[in-house]
Amino acid sequence: MLDAVKDAVRKSSIHVCVVNCGGCNGCDVEVVALLSPRYDLEQYGIYVQNNPREADVLLLTGAVTEQWTDNLKRIYDKAPEPKIVVAVGNCPQSGDVFNQEGGHVHAPASNFIPVDAAIPGCPPRPSEILEAILAVGPQAIADRGREEK
Amino acid sequence: MSSLMWYIFDFARKAWADAFANAKTNPEIAEKPERFRDFPKVNKEYCIGCGACTVSCPSPNAIKIVREEDDETGEGLTYPIIFPEACIRCGFCAEVCPTDPKTLECGLNHYILPEFNLIPSKRKYVVDDFLCIKCKKCMKKCPVEAISVVDGKLVVDQLKCISCGECLGVCPVNGAMKGVFVDNLQDQKELILSCVNFLEEFIEGKEEDLRLLEQNDLLQYDVPVSEIWDDALKIMPDEEIALEIITNAVNRLKIRIIDWDESKCEKCQLCIPDCPTECISFDDDKDTIVRDKNRCLRCSICYQTCPFSVIKYFIAKFSLDDGENIHIIVNASNLNEGIVE
Repeated sequence: MLDAVKDAVRKSSIHVCVVNCGGCNGCDVEVVALLSPRYDLEQYGIYVQNNPREADVLLLTGAVTEQWTDNLKRIYDKAPEPKIVVAVGNCPQSGDVFNQEGGHVHAPASNFIPVDAAIPGCPPRPSEILEAILAVGPQAIADRGREEK
Repeated sequence: MSSLMWYIFDFARKAWADAFANAKTNPEIAEKPERFRDFPKVNKEYCIGCGACTVSCPSPNAIKIVREEDDETGEGLTYPIIFPEACIRCGFCAEVCPTDPKTLECGLNHYILPEFNLIPSKRKYVVDDFLCIKCKKCMKKCPVEAISVVDGKLVVDQLKCISCGECLGVCPVNGAMKGVFVDNLQDQKELILSCVNFLEEFIEGKEEDLRLLEQNDLLQYDVPVSEIWDDALKIMPDEEIALEIITNAVNRLKIRIIDWDESKCEKCQLCIPDCPTECISFDDDKDTIVRDKNRCLRCSICYQTCPFSVIKYFIAKFSLDDGENIHIIVNASNLNEGIVE
């Protein structure tokens, strides 16, 4: 009974924390576009705020820079279980154009924290981000909550 | 109260009911619009394996060229593969792809082809901005309006130029409008080098004249071009191009000559540490100063150092006007004039 209630709540209200670990802000702008009336993320019960302590989903943007190598783990640890990490755009996956020889990016982000889903694109369209969050979000969080038992 | 009535009445209108019943997401939001440039599509069978796409790609890990394994039907296909996790969808790879039809398709930009004409011409006409006085005579003369002002400089649009050479004829400044020969640049370099070497050897061969030359005097020689003409034609078979390259090179040429009179040398070795390229050294076995001509910069430092006038320093200038004789003028350097003998 209690589990069912928890599942229902977890599925219907997902809190997303955007973590920009040293990107160009392109993906962050697309996430802001998701909040706008055109895409209206909150109609799906997804809320964006920048507090990892309240987050169910961490949205990673940006190639991991020098300072973020240890901070990424710290932020990840602050987020309560169950949690899902989604890498938005190419930077957290491959470093994209910043991963040049002699550059100082430490992509991929999966070297530091476990990444559950990745959205390719530079930047991905808001609809692609939305699709990915919806595909991975509600059910995955509910399942993750069950796993902890 | 009446406003509330109107408010409720608004919901009763057919237009509202239609809009409510047929509400759907704008297709621009739900699907990718037609103009959207997505990840490149690869058509394997057209690829020629030239690698232009990998060179043009701004992202280090986005595109790689792979080759399938050979089997009994023949060689395996070579083709690019795109890694979406690193591709920024810029479409450069599709634009540079030389195959027809395109191996890579990405957006619409690569369907736009600039119109240009290929004219079989030996010359390419360019404006030397350093010499150009912006009189715009060439602009007025150009029959196809290929010359225009860009950022305050006159520029020839190579796509429009028909290589008629009218601009070269009206240009009042010698060298501001250039008809450059574009092919066989390496041969052109060789030709200039052989010409310069010949002239230098010619002057260095006139040792007696050089050593008798007074401070304010000139030496003048005329060398017929025919002496280097055969060698020139071996390097550059086209007579017109060869003559023009020799003329241009010779008219701008200024050679500094070093004459080394070993009979006066007292082996004081003052010149050895002063040489910037270390081309002067002392040979202990033969008890003599050795100068490596090929490393010499003709910088005149040894000439200014030497207390015994072993070294003489000359400046030679050249002109070739009629295409027949190279006129040479040599005068002694006046660097040491202020020194009391």
